[in-house]
Amino acid sequence: MKKRNVVALFFVLPVIIILLAISIFPLIYSFYLSLCQWDIGTGAARTFVGARNYLRLFTDSRLWNAMRNTGLELLFGVGTQFLLGLSLALLLNRVFRGRSLVVTLFLLPMMISPVVVGCIWKIIYHYQYGPLNFLLEKIRLSPVNWLGSSSTSIYSIILADIWEWTPFVMITLLAGLQAIPDELYEAAKVDGATRVSTFLWIVLPLLRPVIIIAVLIRVMDAFKIFDLVVLLTMGGPGQSSETIAFYNYLTGFKYFSMGYASSMTYFQLAIIVIIANIFLKSWKGREMA
Amino acid sequence: MKDHLRIPIFVGIFFLLALALSPFLWNFMTSFKDKGEYFTYPPVFIPRSFSGEHYLQGLKLGGSRGIRDSVIIAVTTTALSIALGSLAAYALARFRIGGENLAFWILSVRMMPPIASVLPLFLFYRSLRWLDTYQAIILTHLLMNLPFAVWMMKGFFEELPVELEEAAEVDGCGRLGAFLRIALPLVAPGLVATALFCFMFSWNEFLFALILGRSRVVPVTVNIAGLIGGHEILWAEISAVSIVASIPIIVIAIVLQRYLVRGLTLGAVKG
Repeated sequence: MKKRNVVALFFVLPVIIILLAISIFPLIYSFYLSLCQWDIGTGAARTFVGARNYLRLFTDSRLWNAMRNTGLELLFGVGTQFLLGLSLALLLNRVFRGRSLVVTLFLLPMMISPVVVGCIWKIIYHYQYGPLNFLLEKIRLSPVNWLGSSSTSIYSIILADIWEWTPFVMITLLAGLQAIPDELYEAAKVDGATRVSTFLWIVLPLLRPVIIIAVLIRVMDAFKIFDLVVLLTMGGPGQSSETIAFYNYLTGFKYFSMGYASSMTYFQLAIIVIIANIFLKSWKGREMA
Repeated sequence: MKDHLRIPIFVGIFFLLALALSPFLWNFMTSFKDKGEYFTYPPVFIPRSFSGEHYLQGLKLGGSRGIRDSVIIAVTTTALSIALGSLAAYALARFRIGGENLAFWILSVRMMPPIASVLPLFLFYRSLRWLDTYQAIILTHLLMNLPFAVWMMKGFFEELPVELEEAAEVDGCGRLGAFLRIALPLVAPGLVATALFCFMFSWNEFLFALILGRSRVVPVTVNIAGLIGGHEILWAEISAVSIVASIPIIVIAIVLQRYLVRGLTLGAVKG
């Protein structure tokens, strides 16, 4: 028994060592940095400032602007992805020829790199020469300055994100739908249930755990939106489309305020830890069920 | 399914699919357009000629170098993740080493915001003079791929009946022998799926590559972003490179079909 455990320990040790080296030690270091002022661009020495960076977080209007944008993404982006994804999953939850090909084609937007997604939408959104404004004019609407106006820029990023990630919700919920045994639908039919009541009282409750997992993964990802911002707007115009990950990137790698940037990463970590815990709890609950 | 609904539903599915794929079509068409065709109003839908010249030009503008760098990084990080990850996964699945806590700790690394990890790592690599090197990006990509490989492989090992390995041990194979000769060949399809996912995550990754690469190492995602940020935007060339960079991913998507849900939900939903 003892010997078995020693062998097993050697099996996991490499993974533990690497993850400690690239995840835990760096995080301990950046926690220390978050208590310091250190602007590596100026060459000034590192000074210990205690909780000052954390206090600054609360009064930094640019950070709260980025949080507001993340909130908009959660509300409109993840919300739309859920509704559209669920509808698509219900549509595709039937047997027909070529189904797996259709499903795979639907998935392409989320499989390709977010950088390619950004590149595609940058052309589509072009104010003068883009196809989207051309279509708007065809149906006699005025063109929209998708990326160049501070009132629309964040919504344009959200729209591209919806295109990219709706397939994720779709395929996850589709897997959940297919796990529901056919007998349940038949039993409901025998009992005289309508389509709507079957959906509300049988399908939705059974789908709940899968819905929770899909939505939580999207919520965690919403805090990490970065690629689309870099490709489409660079946070502009002004600061109108900055997300938390992008503002954090600017603080660290453009303004080189390593101390303040570190405190910002801890702010995000706190949020993610809370969501991740809900995710893991619902997962463990599912395994017991 | 009532028959009279069948046709409207298929028309609906087909319409939505066309809508979802139309941005790809536009990108594809753009890759063949000359400057006069993409900087014009009303927009030109179908280019005059379908010659590969913008593809060649795009690959010359750093595209081919980017693809080479991405291949080096993605292949190495995948190989490391699979080799180390499946060993650890086997120990977690079979000996329950560290219990649930160790397993969930490994998973939690995968969920961390990338910007939080890369900031201190950037400073570490800077003092090691590792910025702008392959090893810095390869090691950092392990942050997403190693926990992923452990979790996926753990799931696959748990689905194997344990009796085969026990028999092998009785027959004189050691623990390592039972793992290499019995368990590993049996999970081969899962192993391939996990490897393809790791490759895809690394290939598509942008944030780490942008911060840790610079001039000597420029993965294809960073290359595309650089072309877009340039003075004069060469749309046809950018589209061409983005299409070439997407081809391996499209192939992977088709091969992975059966495992997609499982991989994308970190094993939480088994498709």
